[in-house]
Amino acid sequence: MKTFLFLIAAIISIATNAQVSKVSLQASGLTCSMCSNSINKALKTIDFVQTVNPNIKTSTFEITFKEGSSVDFDKLKKKVEDAGFTVASFVAFVNFNNTEIKSNEPVKVGDKTFYILNAKEKSLNGAKQVRIVDKGFVSTKDFKKNTLAAPTSGNGVYNVTI
Amino acid sequence: MKTKLITALLLISISSMAQELYVYTEPASNMAAKSIGLRLNNFIMPESYTAKTNYHMIPEIMVGVSKTTMVHFDAFLSNRNKGLSVEGGSIYAKYRFLSNDEVQKHFRMAAFGRYSFNNSDIHQEEINLYGHNTGFEAGIVATQLLHKVAISSGLSFIKTLDNGGNNKFPYGNLDRQAINYTLSIGKLMLPKEYTDYKQTNLNLMLEFLNQFNLGSGKYYMDIAPSMQLIFNSVARVDIGYRQQMSSSLYRTAPNGLFVRLEYNLFNAY
Repeated sequence: MKTFLFLIAAIISIATNAQVSKVSLQASGLTCSMCSNSINKALKTIDFVQTVNPNIKTSTFEITFKEGSSVDFDKLKKKVEDAGFTVASFVAFVNFNNTEIKSNEPVKVGDKTFYILNAKEKSLNGAKQVRIVDKGFVSTKDFKKNTLAAPTSGNGVYNVTI
Repeated sequence: MKTKLITALLLISISSMAQELYVYTEPASNMAAKSIGLRLNNFIMPESYTAKTNYHMIPEIMVGVSKTTMVHFDAFLSNRNKGLSVEGGSIYAKYRFLSNDEVQKHFRMAAFGRYSFNNSDIHQEEINLYGHNTGFEAGIVATQLLHKVAISSGLSFIKTLDNGGNNKFPYGNLDRQAINYTLSIGKLMLPKEYTDYKQTNLNLMLEFLNQFNLGSGKYYMDIAPSMQLIFNSVARVDIGYRQQMSSSLYRTAPNGLFVRLEYNLFNAY
């Protein structure tokens, strides 16, 4: 059964392209190396995470993912919260392929839907830095700065700025 | 792969802010969810009125239940009777209900409760639920972290019951109730700049520990400086000295040394 599930998971993984190559997140509520380490170790337990590169001084973590895996942003955020801290900034490096975009309208990239707030460009191509502005992905202060296009976030739907 | 995963799961860390990992009190922050901490607490307190030295040994297990809740289990041993014997135990829980996090800063508040039981004889007016009296405690704690400094203050209500083994509380019924209030300050001294999780941390703490008895109106005020070393972000050694500054309560051994060894397992279950 386990092998079967694993096989299915593997097939699904191969079918999806690597739409998210990297995430850079900053945690808040800490200064010391131990707290940073608790987040570092928690992120490393996630099955789709390949590497975690921490910067203790700035509480920033660069996370890369296993090839073909589906990246769950909510799981990354939850790991930071379970360690006792909060996400202050969450930037995903997303690969676009001549994707048509309109401000405040949904854009589908792989298994994720992005509502791009105040988009200026008409189409996106190649790797772009996408900042998630939903609750829990930014500081409380920054959260108030944006009017969200999609009221319900999570489960692959995110309000973002580029 | 499986071995790798297990190794990753067994990899260990400490959850909280070093500067607020106080020696004599608990901060408003908790340990990480799914982490376990093991402690061996030792009090070496010379008695004021005899040549005897009281030794209390308190093994402790701490469990991070969720991101907001943690639980401690303690066993109380002492040398009051022949050898080292178990006199009681305690369960402590803390719930973080407020968390305002900013980069390298936070303000947090938590509510906590403790129930302790003890079978030893009661020999002082001071109420101590950490190895002396049976009873319960309920309180709140607020902690402010500002980069390398953390300040924390706690306020709790305590009520003692009769100890086990027919050891009754010998003072007035109203004297069973007291207020504990504390102020703790911690500062990260070393390293000057973080580069590595393996760097040894040195923290200095200064804590003020006070009790006011609601029945008798008697009180004590103690000061407790301490130093803390953290190795590899997993192991911790605390050394503190508690000194009475002022007191109107009868206390048998208020001053003395405290030594704690601690080890933390991260993602332990």
